[in-house]
Amino acid sequence: MSEVTQEQITELLCQRLVYFTEIEMEVSPETNLITHLAIDSVKLLNLVMEIEDEFDISVPLNTLVDVLTVQDLANLIHKIKLSSQ
Amino acid sequence: MSSTIATLGVPPVQKTSSLSSGIDVVEPTPTINLLTQRRADFTTLVESLEYAAQGETGYNFYDAKGNLKSVLSYRDLCASAKVIARRLSGLGLARNSRVALIADTTPEFVELFFACRYAGFVPFAMPVPVNLGSRAIYVQQLKGMLESSKASVALANLDFIEFLNEAIGGLRNDELKWCGTPDQLDLLPEADVALLQNTPDETAYLQFTSGSTRSPRGVVITEQALMTNLRGIVCNGLDVRLGDRCASWLPFYHDMGLVGLVLAPLAAQLSVDYLATRDFAVRPLQWLKLISRNRCTIAFSQPFGLKLCTLRARDSDLVDLDLSCWRAAGVGAEMIRLETLKIFAAKFAAAGFDERAFLPCYGLAESTLAVSFPDIGQGAKSLRVDAKTLIEKKVAVRVQADGRKYNEFVNCGRPLPDHEVRVVDDTDHDVPSMAVGSILVRGRSVMSGYFNNAEETARAIRADGWLDTGDIGFLFEGNLYITGRRTDVIIVNGRNIRAQDVEELAEQQPEVRAREASAFGISNEDGSTSVVLVVECRLASAVDRQSLINRLQQMVYMAFGVNCLVELVPPHTLPRTSSGKLSRFAARQGFLRRVNMEQPVVTINTVS
Repeated sequence: MSEVTQEQITELLCQRLVYFTEIEMEVSPETNLITHLAIDSVKLLNLVMEIEDEFDISVPLNTLVDVLTVQDLANLIHKIKLSSQ
Repeated sequence: MSSTIATLGVPPVQKTSSLSSGIDVVEPTPTINLLTQRRADFTTLVESLEYAAQGETGYNFYDAKGNLKSVLSYRDLCASAKVIARRLSGLGLARNSRVALIADTTPEFVELFFACRYAGFVPFAMPVPVNLGSRAIYVQQLKGMLESSKASVALANLDFIEFLNEAIGGLRNDELKWCGTPDQLDLLPEADVALLQNTPDETAYLQFTSGSTRSPRGVVITEQALMTNLRGIVCNGLDVRLGDRCASWLPFYHDMGLVGLVLAPLAAQLSVDYLATRDFAVRPLQWLKLISRNRCTIAFSQPFGLKLCTLRARDSDLVDLDLSCWRAAGVGAEMIRLETLKIFAAKFAAAGFDERAFLPCYGLAESTLAVSFPDIGQGAKSLRVDAKTLIEKKVAVRVQADGRKYNEFVNCGRPLPDHEVRVVDDTDHDVPSMAVGSILVRGRSVMSGYFNNAEETARAIRADGWLDTGDIGFLFEGNLYITGRRTDVIIVNGRNIRAQDVEELAEQQPEVRAREASAFGISNEDGSTSVVLVVECRLASAVDRQSLINRLQQMVYMAFGVNCLVELVPPHTLPRTSSGKLSRFAARQGFLRRVNMEQPVVTINTVS
């Protein structure tokens, strides 16, 4: 798991996010979490929990303020993952 | 578990404090204190701390996995707050200067808060950012609070200091003299000054009630108002006794988190176990585990927090939980639906939760925190009233016959001693028992006003001292029942959202003119609330219209963390009053008619 690349994280998120919303749609790195996927606060917390468990990291709240797209989120996870090693 | 109880029952030797970092934390502060318990009979906050500091109890902070992270006994808090107070005093500020603190759940926040009181300054807590993509709006909110409070000092820990610096960059006033982290403050010299005693009529703190970017309002609470309310909470609401211990995940920047679960426990020398709000939200069961493990007796939540616990708990989680120690499960801060409590109780009964522990209460920051409590140990009592009569005649009539549609309202109890509650109609006359009207409160806990804002203060507090709460409800046998809020506040997942703030956000878009947007809440079938934004729009192209809708949804999400239904309508669709003001009530009616939605006032059940 420690060797995970940014591309793998992005791919994993895209797969996971499809199950996260009621809307049937293709999720790509450019997908906007708010306007396209309508991630509300409860879903966001669920997502954070899954990410933390999956990648064994802790996502600080202050880092989410710059996240809008799937790609932003993947970059963030990758960054945290790298700095935690 | 018995070993934990034994450890907590005996005062352990305090081996560390948050000031002497680097040493491993060994034990949380004990539940049982050797000091004689005094139940909030102090005249100032500092006096409460000076007394608590003679005992062994204090605050304990846990990480996301439930491990004890740091301990701040009242004794250590008292010592460190005085040191920090002398550093602050060296800045040469006038007494009653405001100090802004970004309030993460940390020992540093509590130390700074009390340091301000020792130094004669007025602290206030600012929120931490929680929403996706919310940087710009969050910085705006900080800026609004710094300007409105005319803060002289602003502090944030390393995680949030960059937001604070960004906010300070664009300040329109020049009161701010110092900004930094607690570590940077520690580098300042201690001034050689005598710390003066606080007086009951001095301002103890400000509490901001809204995340509004343009017009944040800081509630001014005096020492006297605070101590009155703490006494009410400790003696009348909770009937605090020996052996009590608190657990909390509530944010320190909310009145219930700060007054209810930081200041009230201190005023009764109780130990508290804290979980950061973020950690609770991601893993709510950690809160229940903390209660179970440390045998906590008092823990409050918004209904939304209880809902999160119910949603996330698997049956396998219940095995290790023993919640039989939890005697005061306070519920407040938003409309309480009996259903939420019932579902929680049903789920956690297997873990020993006793539904008689439920303590539904009513309060607001403008009255420090608490207004009314029912008797403790009774559980949530409720009243079923006829739905039709309630809507048509604004009167609560108890349901007698089967088969009638009814609304069920939770009994929020009687006002604290020395406080009065009135229910009035639109012409300000008292209505009879069971008739629905605006709820007014008068008493010593009521705020002095909104800081530096005479206009808003005059709108909230009448000349004769009655505070208009903005809530509606009725009285029955002296007990208060809340039936809703007036249309200017939308409550989603426990968060108060001012309709005006949503409308102002919309008006920031170039396509939207002033007074051409109306925001309100609608109830969904499952009892949840959605925010609706109706905007008058002149755009013809479908692409432009969709782009505006997307932007509006994104803005609302970033600011408030909720999804929002946006409807674009032709100009002159929104109903206006004779003075040209938009009527949110009429806008809501129009929207419901257009989408053909039947709208229950609150949940409507059918007696079976």
